[in-house]
Amino acid sequence: MRILIVEDEPTLQAQLAEGLGAASYAVDTAGNGVDGHYLGATESYDAVVLDLGLPQVDGITVLRKWRASGRTMPVLILTARDGWHEKVAGIDAGADDYLTKPFHMEELLARLRALIRRAGGHASAELNCGPLTLDTRSNRATVNGQAMTLTSHEYRVLAYLMHHRDEVISRSDLVEHIYAQDFDRDSNTVEVFIARLRKKLPPGLIETVRGLGYRLTTP
Amino acid sequence: MKNTVTSALRNSLRLRLLAGTLFWIAASIIAAGWGLSSLFQRHVEVQFHAELKTYLDQLTAQLAPDSKGQPTLNLPLSDPRLSRPYSGYYWQIDEINDDAPVSSGLLRSRSLWDHVLAVPPDTPADGEIHQHRIVGPEGKMLGMGERSVRIDDVPDGKPRSFRLIVAADESLMSEPVARFSGALWVALGVLGIGLVFAALMQVFVGLAPLRKLHAALGKVRSGETPRLNGDFPAEIMPLVEELNTVLAQNAEVVERARTQAGNLAHALKTPLSVLANAADAASKHACREHSELTRLVLEQVTTARRQVDYHLARAQAAASSRMPGARTSLRPVIDGLLRTMRRIHADRQLDLTCRRFSEALVFRGEAQDLQEMLGNLLDNACKWASHQVTVDAERNRNELCIIIDDDGVGLLAEQRDAVIRRGIRADEQVPGSGLGLAIVEDLARLYGGRLELMDSPLGGLRSSLTLPATN
Repeated sequence: MRILIVEDEPTLQAQLAEGLGAASYAVDTAGNGVDGHYLGATESYDAVVLDLGLPQVDGITVLRKWRASGRTMPVLILTARDGWHEKVAGIDAGADDYLTKPFHMEELLARLRALIRRAGGHASAELNCGPLTLDTRSNRATVNGQAMTLTSHEYRVLAYLMHHRDEVISRSDLVEHIYAQDFDRDSNTVEVFIARLRKKLPPGLIETVRGLGYRLTTP
Repeated sequence: MKNTVTSALRNSLRLRLLAGTLFWIAASIIAAGWGLSSLFQRHVEVQFHAELKTYLDQLTAQLAPDSKGQPTLNLPLSDPRLSRPYSGYYWQIDEINDDAPVSSGLLRSRSLWDHVLAVPPDTPADGEIHQHRIVGPEGKMLGMGERSVRIDDVPDGKPRSFRLIVAADESLMSEPVARFSGALWVALGVLGIGLVFAALMQVFVGLAPLRKLHAALGKVRSGETPRLNGDFPAEIMPLVEELNTVLAQNAEVVERARTQAGNLAHALKTPLSVLANAADAASKHACREHSELTRLVLEQVTTARRQVDYHLARAQAAASSRMPGARTSLRPVIDGLLRTMRRIHADRQLDLTCRRFSEALVFRGEAQDLQEMLGNLLDNACKWASHQVTVDAERNRNELCIIIDDDGVGLLAEQRDAVIRRGIRADEQVPGSGLGLAIVEDLARLYGGRLELMDSPLGGLRSSLTLPATN
């Protein structure tokens, strides 16, 4: 799962990046509206945390431009102005949720989880696929109730597949969503992660669709 | 009494104008009446005496003593009124000799009949005419002219002196004066009434723009218009323009204060976020001695945020609820908020319905404040509802009543009071906490409205918000 953070206050940006990184998200950051808009328009994100008070181009404008160009990723807006008119303006510009400053990191994580889940059409915080259960609140996967030990990257691959259950996910899709932008990407590593996951999971859960990619499905 | 009159004059422009105009109308009419009637009287008097002098001259010309020295007239005087008894025109000739008593009425006009005019003893010098007032026949006052004539060539050789008297009834003079005065005062009275009517018209028509201005200001105050509209006379237009400028400036100041308050909140809250997150992170891998500090920081950051929110909302509302001319249509605000609620409470799959109500419901106040009040109430309802939230609104005369129902667990009567009262005494309680209802209550109060919580027919809580309405 890959998240974009657009926040101009450097300390807060660093805290957000650290908090989201600790929750196993791949994180990109932008410090102003122009960079933020560029990243959101060109890269694939599973969710965006967008501050409204940004230098150069304000958050509402950035959001409107994304939506006008057909970007549909869930966006959580951060605002220091607590008024409902700001919230209504944000939602009408295309935001999916808002959070007022100051906030607790836990609440931000919970809201993000809910947004990503909703975007994938899931109603519960627990995602299931046969014997496999993924608890997005605790970032833990279990097979028949037995906890799995996963590295951060393995978790991201599994979580992305779980959120898009029964869909064919291409390798480049996976790369897009598990690495931050400045990471040295190598699509071969995806194959390594898939191979490791297959070893830890019951057989048949992750199918390879030849020439297209992978699919997580109940056998 | 005097004080009430002066204070009434001081307080009413209309009364002042009327009193001034009426005083001068009355003064000039009285002066004109008095002047004209005395002028006429003088004219009649002059004419009266000129007539008497004419008779006196005729009498002098015709006077001729007979052989015994008795006065006779060569020809009778021509005016027939001098022959008709008690006609009011009389003449009489007395003999006045230095050595003998006055013999009155030696020769008299026929009109005197058997009456002899009693004339005060007087001897006008040669050529002089003396005027007197005397009592004539039937007790009437007469105006009289006399002259003395000395005749030397008398047949008996004894020169004689005569006093020639011509008199006329004074009523012949005063009657036309009275008639003229009567007609004059009637005419002046009509003129006066006309002038008073004109003055009234002028004052009422002249002051009509002020009444219009009053009505226009009333509309601004009631929120129907943001500025003074309409055509005003050139004399009042500068005042109207000044007032409009002041209104516009006022709105600008409020808007600026609002923005600055928002900027301040923004400037404060980002560092608060940093502080809170740092404390949060520290508390996770902190050693024991720091845990108290991080707890304190988190607690104080939360308090600071609530204080900022609460006072910001209050300051904005305090500024805007005193802004005249603000009006907000209810429907778009509710629609915007419902869109927002559906989005942010998407997980809960609530049935959010807005009953059909008139599009024409308008709140007399700022859009942001209405959004703040309804946003808090709706958010609250959405948080607590199990499945359903409904919004309804209606207008009762000058009040807008907005009702929000939910089917949640509701509140007990004593909890309702506690929830609302939390915001009232900001120094004792934590303001803005809880359900945000304290802010709603405060805002509603500033607008002269109220928030009531009661049981909902849906089973949960009903929030009834009453606010001032406008057209």
